[in-house]
Amino acid sequence: MDLSLRAVTHRYGDLEVLRGIDLTIRAGEVVCVIGPSGCGKSTLLRLLGGLERPSEGRVLQVGEPPPGSLNPLTYVFQDFALLPWRTAAGNVALALEDRPCSRAERREIVAEVLARTKLSEFADVLPRQLSGGMRQRVAIARALAVRPACLLLDEPLSALDSQTRELLLDDLLELWLRERFTACYVTHNLSEAVRLGHRIVVLSRRPGRIREIVEIDMPLEARKDGLAELQEQQRRLWELLREEAAAADRELADA
Amino acid sequence: MPEGAGPEPGEPGASAAGDGRPVAEVPFRGGGFAPAPRRGVGPLLFAGLILLWEAGARLGWIGPLVLPAPSEVAGAFVRLVESGQLWLHLAASLQRLLLGWTAGTLLGLLFGLAAGLFSLGRAGIVPLVAAIFPIPKIALLPLFIVWFGIGEESKVATILFGTFFPTVIAVYGGVDNVDRGLIRMGQSFGLPWLSIVRKIVLPGALPAILSGFRISAAIAIILLVAAEMIGAEYGVGAYILLAGNLMATDQLVAGVAILSAMGLTVSWLLGRAERHFLKWRL
Repeated sequence: MDLSLRAVTHRYGDLEVLRGIDLTIRAGEVVCVIGPSGCGKSTLLRLLGGLERPSEGRVLQVGEPPPGSLNPLTYVFQDFALLPWRTAAGNVALALEDRPCSRAERREIVAEVLARTKLSEFADVLPRQLSGGMRQRVAIARALAVRPACLLLDEPLSALDSQTRELLLDDLLELWLRERFTACYVTHNLSEAVRLGHRIVVLSRRPGRIREIVEIDMPLEARKDGLAELQEQQRRLWELLREEAAAADRELADA
Repeated sequence: MPEGAGPEPGEPGASAAGDGRPVAEVPFRGGGFAPAPRRGVGPLLFAGLILLWEAGARLGWIGPLVLPAPSEVAGAFVRLVESGQLWLHLAASLQRLLLGWTAGTLLGLLFGLAAGLFSLGRAGIVPLVAAIFPIPKIALLPLFIVWFGIGEESKVATILFGTFFPTVIAVYGGVDNVDRGLIRMGQSFGLPWLSIVRKIVLPGALPAILSGFRISAAIAIILLVAAEMIGAEYGVGAYILLAGNLMATDQLVAGVAILSAMGLTVSWLLGRAERHFLKWRL
């Protein structure tokens, strides 16, 4: 299943945040979206998953989601969005409870995704007892439990410290190599983008337009931290972003 | 002096460093502002006050007509227990309290949720609550008697009305404060509306709802006594009123102590409930 934005423009009241976005996320690829703060990256993601309706243009699913997908468009949030009153397993189960699957099936799925995210021993632990990285792993497990056709990741590593971020980035890479999921990954971190993205969409400052789409040919499994080619790509992206970021930084929040 | 609040001055006279520069300890400026639980202080304070009161009465500082000694109050209480009247009064009061508070709380939950979840509900309920909440429900008691008769109904209705409004306010305030990100998460996973309310909104609002219960329970006890002072045969309020009319101050104070004990019990029960339902917050 592909996900496609057609001439999407979005406004909050009089404030135009996105203008004329045309973008297709093809099945099996990871598209990273970067841009200066306030450029509408997160809005773009909310539009993609149907949490918001575009002012103009259309958001389309092209093709059928794979059979067995319970929630084709599934988010991973920056602040994890875990229910503090539910255990790790309970949080994962939440996404399955209103689906047509039996109690036993549900338990099986929960155990399986927790194992896949290396969380089995933390199944009965409350979120507050977990570190930030572990919490985001729970959120990723929850997303995997509903067998998404496309993962929508909203700065999933931004709330973590840099060491944890590095570990979780490796986990995400490993996960993609195993599952080959489709994903739209919004980030402001360029090194995450060049590590994880098949294509990197660079947005301009508000109103966000697509400035450039950078394709990185290197297969994900070959990408290592600190590789010269990636650093070159990262430098080029920064060149593209620099002016926009500087200008965006000087804008008033609600002007 | 509160613990940890006092800055401890560095020792200016401390020895000098090797190169002759003065060495002083960095003065401690942190601490305080974090009251810790102290077990036993509450009961000890109670006991101390009662002892002081008893001593005052025995030494003649407090006249027996002004305030009876605790021992006399205890005597009145024992007589009440022995006559078997205590259970009659308590049963009547507790029944009214339970009925009124439960009904008021359930209705309050319903209307509070409506105000918290629907634009139309909010637009209608919030001004209504603002208009009626400040009216002392005791002032409406004569009206309730006309509407519901002199029996149990008017007393229960008074408590119901009194607990309804603070519950509405607590519930919709609690719903308002539920993390929007969690609700958006629920929507993004395709949870049905009812599941979002049941599994995300209600538990998220529970801390506010429980602290609302504390307020509504206290109001319920206050109104219970007021309602029982008008035409009730049994009830703690009726007992107090009768004692007052007979100038039996020992019985009066015993009745007031029963009310206080009721308040303490409710508070203890709610504390237990909070500890059980809000374990995740600790």
